[in-house]
Amino acid sequence: MSQQIDGTESHGFLGEEFLTWLWFRWETDGGEFTLPGGRIVGVALDDFLTFAAPSDDETEQTLRRGLPTRTAEARTALRQGRRLRKARLLVAEGERQWTFTLDAPTLGLGGVKLPEDAEECETEQDRTADRAANWLAIHEIVQGLYVLFLRERLQPDYLKSTAEQQAHWMAT
Amino acid sequence: MAAIRKSGGVVVYFWDGKLADPRDDGFAELLAQRRFRSIETAASEEVSVGWVTPADPTGDTFANEDLDGGLATWLRLRIDKKTLPKKWLQIYRDAAEKQRGKKLSARERRELKDELTERLLPRTLPAVNLVDALLYHDRKMVMLFATSKAVREAFTKLFFETFTIPLERADPLRCAHVAKLGPDADRALDRLEPVRWPQHEGEQPREVARPKKANVAAIAAAVAELESEAVGAADDTAPWEESEA
Repeated sequence: MSQQIDGTESHGFLGEEFLTWLWFRWETDGGEFTLPGGRIVGVALDDFLTFAAPSDDETEQTLRRGLPTRTAEARTALRQGRRLRKARLLVAEGERQWTFTLDAPTLGLGGVKLPEDAEECETEQDRTADRAANWLAIHEIVQGLYVLFLRERLQPDYLKSTAEQQAHWMAT
Repeated sequence: MAAIRKSGGVVVYFWDGKLADPRDDGFAELLAQRRFRSIETAASEEVSVGWVTPADPTGDTFANEDLDGGLATWLRLRIDKKTLPKKWLQIYRDAAEKQRGKKLSARERRELKDELTERLLPRTLPAVNLVDALLYHDRKMVMLFATSKAVREAFTKLFFETFTIPLERADPLRCAHVAKLGPDADRALDRLEPVRWPQHEGEQPREVARPKKANVAAIAAAVAELESEAVGAADDTAPWEESEA
């Protein structure tokens, strides 16, 4: 098997920046995103947040239950320049809604709950096909959101444009 | 046959290269070559890993329709593991030591374990783990419905042995490359550094008991010096860093 670069080790921070950016966009723009291809989705942070430790010697901070994004602890963490490592997200597209925990350094999805099976499903095979489509959809939505983030993040003037707005949001 | 799961954790993998089309008989034949083989009566094998189908957990049949998952191909991995119950081992060891009137040596313990394994393993039923995966052939992607390291390793190994194609786990770098943002973006990705967000004085941390009085002023000065060195070493500066400087 070929030796592969471990992108979690080298670019895990990028996943954390992506998740923090999602929070920033949700709070400042309302959480509606038009993905590449025209797909429109709504995103919100739910009841679980983990802030990454700034260094190996420092502690991770987890906030759960209620509205952790509104807590003083969360605002303090942002003011200290900390990135999100994990968060439970709600994603909606039309009538369908997913909840899951996004592990930012790996972009892995944990504790996923798919939308309810479509009413037209009559057999187990129909249900499998419907769920396979919903599993694919949540992967594509996360990937689409990540592409939106990357398009901003990889701009040469990123630090003087989006990042400056985000820094202001984190400070307030 | 129950439907595929609708909740849980998932790990995404991508592959490069040409994988057999799941609609062709050849795909099912490849799975059959690496089918699950029972270790129910085996005395020595402790783990067996192989493909089965959602409709047939024995691994004896691989009908194309059993792999049909709508947009995806529904793969199922079966991992059977036989382990000698530790408590049995301890009971036999205690009995042997009691009979001898002294503790067994390391060599004697090993011999006892080997003898018990040979005698008891054929009578031990394996623990069965069925793990599902959805393969999206047109997207060159597989979703594995398991997150443990052991299962991930078993799956990627079996996939490689079956199709001779390595799987690469999704991560922020791989997902960026999969998005095909263009050569400029790929170059920018390679040299990307984390943003150092500004740090503001927020709420003060709670007081904690200290064994002796610390020289706070000296520590603060040392930290400030380190921070100024770190900022000075950066190539790119953000507006807040310029104003801080």
